[in-house]
Amino acid sequence: MARVFDELTRFCQARSLFILHYCTGCGAIELPPVMTSRFDMERLGVSPMVTPRQADVLLVTGYVSIKTLKRVMLTYEQMGSPRYVIGICSCTVNGGMYWQSYATAKKLDEYLPVDLYIAGCMPRPEAVISGIRTLMQRIESGEADSWKEYYHNYDYYLGNQQKLFGPQWQTPVDVIGEAEQYGLLGPATRGTHTELLEQIQVPLQPLEMRL
Amino acid sequence: MSLDGFTPWLQSLSDRIEGMVVTRTDLQQRRTRIDLPADHLTLLLEAAKGELGFVHLSAISCVDWIEEGAFELVYHLWSYEQNQLLSIHIRIPRDPGRYQSVVDLYRPAGFFERDIHEMFGLYFEGALDMDKFILTEWNGPPPMRKDFDSEAFVEETFGWQAYNPPWLQALTSAGGGVVTPPSEQRFSQRGEVARAPWSGSPRQPFQDDGEKG
Repeated sequence: MARVFDELTRFCQARSLFILHYCTGCGAIELPPVMTSRFDMERLGVSPMVTPRQADVLLVTGYVSIKTLKRVMLTYEQMGSPRYVIGICSCTVNGGMYWQSYATAKKLDEYLPVDLYIAGCMPRPEAVISGIRTLMQRIESGEADSWKEYYHNYDYYLGNQQKLFGPQWQTPVDVIGEAEQYGLLGPATRGTHTELLEQIQVPLQPLEMRL
Repeated sequence: MSLDGFTPWLQSLSDRIEGMVVTRTDLQQRRTRIDLPADHLTLLLEAAKGELGFVHLSAISCVDWIEEGAFELVYHLWSYEQNQLLSIHIRIPRDPGRYQSVVDLYRPAGFFERDIHEMFGLYFEGALDMDKFILTEWNGPPPMRKDFDSEAFVEETFGWQAYNPPWLQALTSAGGGVVTPPSEQRFSQRGEVARAPWSGSPRQPFQDDGEKG
């Protein structure tokens, strides 16, 4: 009985994907045709969403500079699980034409788990649609669970983030706490990097309210 | 002053300012290049702004001539009265890399100088602000200098590795493919006499090439 409900849930999840309106780099220019009448992604049940907390899919549409990557990480950790990441354009795969640049991060999946890459510089809207359909199939069959990877291997991802952002790096989200809450703790969740984080972690302060 | 006044003004200027080389071509009537010893820059800027209405400093660009040990600064001035573009080229020694700010003459120079300071490490005396500008999360050397090895930095920071599989090695060892070793491409990896690949002969320091407009 539980399996039936799981299948039904996944079926429904795959057919109502909300893509976060967050665009980096140049690949975002292919998204308006994907959304609008010509390629019309809404016929697949995919539509844009304005806030990370309400969104399911994070599209990283092109190169991410170190500055942008910070924002990507903050956004990704705010999204509710299950969350999916699609890396569009070759820049997210290996740096693309910015392979030699000092300013852009090269491999996106070192910093957060990526479900799917759509290669190309830039991929056409057909390719984006095809990528989204692949993601839908993977969600329906239950293969798309890379968001669990982030909890299982949090130490690895945090280590790579600390390497770029410095040892003082911390986000407002308590990832280990979430992993404990949802039973997603793995052997590699904690490690040397999370120890460093726990040493410097400052508890969040409420924002000062002033009229 | 009318449009015709520009050429005589240039003539009178070269009498007043020593070591000034004016380059104009027939092709680009509205562009003038002036090469100038670095000491006389403010003199020229004041004259251009006051006498001919070159009120718009649209950019300051910087070129790192590492082989000649010089930074080239180019001040792009535009006059709305003359419809003329003046590019004033000066060269300053790469070491210690200090120059005077022109922010008292042109207010927007503050941004350009701050940017050049961040990207090339050149210090402008009397500038408004020499703080970090765009590279807020950057702790390395100024990245646009020619001796900054971007490739090594990328390899170290991002774990980047060149893709050189056996099939490609077999191809290149047989003389195929495009073989340009990094030592021939990168300024930072070159050994003795390095020269820009696009220049046929070694450039003379300062006051050369008459054909560049």
